[in-house]
Amino acid sequence: MNEGWRFFLLFFGSALVANILLIRFIALCPFFGVSNSLETSLGMSISVIFVMVMASSVSWVAWNYVLEPLHVGEFLYIPTFILIIASLVQFVEMVIKKSSPPLYRAMGIYLPLITTNCAVLAAATESVKPGFFTKLNIAYSYGFIESVVYTLGVAVGFSLVLIIFAALRERLDMAPVPKYFKGIPIAFITAALFSLAFMGFAGMFSL
Amino acid sequence: MEEKRTLWGEFSKGLITTNPLFVLMVGLCSALAISTRVESCIFMGLAVIFVLTCSNVIISLIRNFIPDQIRIPIYIVVIASFVTIVDLTLKTIPAVYERLGVWIPLIVVNCIILARAEGYASDAKVSHAAMDGLGIGVGYTSVLLIMSVFRELFGSGKIVIFNKTLINLGIKNMPVILILFPGAFITYALLSALLAWYQERKTTIEISRELPEGLPEGAYAYETLRQSGRSSAPPVETKEQ
Repeated sequence: MNEGWRFFLLFFGSALVANILLIRFIALCPFFGVSNSLETSLGMSISVIFVMVMASSVSWVAWNYVLEPLHVGEFLYIPTFILIIASLVQFVEMVIKKSSPPLYRAMGIYLPLITTNCAVLAAATESVKPGFFTKLNIAYSYGFIESVVYTLGVAVGFSLVLIIFAALRERLDMAPVPKYFKGIPIAFITAALFSLAFMGFAGMFSL
Repeated sequence: MEEKRTLWGEFSKGLITTNPLFVLMVGLCSALAISTRVESCIFMGLAVIFVLTCSNVIISLIRNFIPDQIRIPIYIVVIASFVTIVDLTLKTIPAVYERLGVWIPLIVVNCIILARAEGYASDAKVSHAAMDGLGIGVGYTSVLLIMSVFRELFGSGKIVIFNKTLINLGIKNMPVILILFPGAFITYALLSALLAWYQERKTTIEISRELPEGLPEGAYAYETLRQSGRSSAPPVETKEQ
């Protein structure tokens, strides 16, 4: 198995086979929160891809050059990673605000939400700290590029599902639904069917 | 006596009126992912109760010293320290730790805990904050247990806790889908629809008795009133209640 093929599998494995929303249930709060309209979910997706990849890279550097050499990783990784994410989000917000006002108007309101988006912390922890990596049956050695590819896959999987689901929900508003299933319950039933479809990817790549 | 009653009120509102999973809609992720087995739910529930109560108490203690601008990072650091305690403690039980996996560090960003710290403990008495943390934690755990009992019992036909089989239906070919990923969504949807039905029934009865004196707090009261306003006029047949 050559290197490029392995990265390809890693990317699609984390995006589709172990989809963070439908197969692993991480980050469901923003999923049901912002999937009301297509426009907001697009904004959220772009911000998440951006912040997630940056958070994982910075966490990787922090783990490999600070926490691990000092042997404090085991008990300091949670505060360190979450503080990295929180300050990174603040930093990104300031930079975008100064450099590109239109982009800020599109992404601005989603950035604070991302701090408490569990997907960011989950991807950072899994791809950096040994012991949490999802069972993808791929050789994974916690290298820098691997961690970036994995995180990118997770983020793309998140965005894909979020956008498709937002489009579905816009239609669902007009559909005749049993009285007590209106709103959240029917959204969950839809997600269940959606998740069933995603289980099919596990066979497709035979990872 | 008065003090005791309010403390009990703080505790019990977390069970139904402001249940974190169904009413506040926070902390869904872990509930859906973990509820495949009753055993993991017990540990996860205990972990959340511990972190929620301790962080509520600490934040309530230091609430007057925190500068307003940097309160969120301070809350997160407080929560993260307690999650680290749980993380290192659970590591001594490898089987459980492996199954809960990344969910233990993810308690930090579990919206329940930050929401209670920001929305409640930041301006509440220590005793009230502690009871609120306990109540919300128990509310979370009970929903987790209901979901996991339903899923494990009907998905695999038996409930196994600590290698002991508690209940065994003895039926082959159970609907495995309940244990798998879609089952979590379906279970939650059914429970949530059930709750909607129950609440509407309760409100129609209450409304036909005239509006209650002390309304339930905040968003919940607004939601029930709005819901009952949208549905057709209060039914007449419930008047004899």
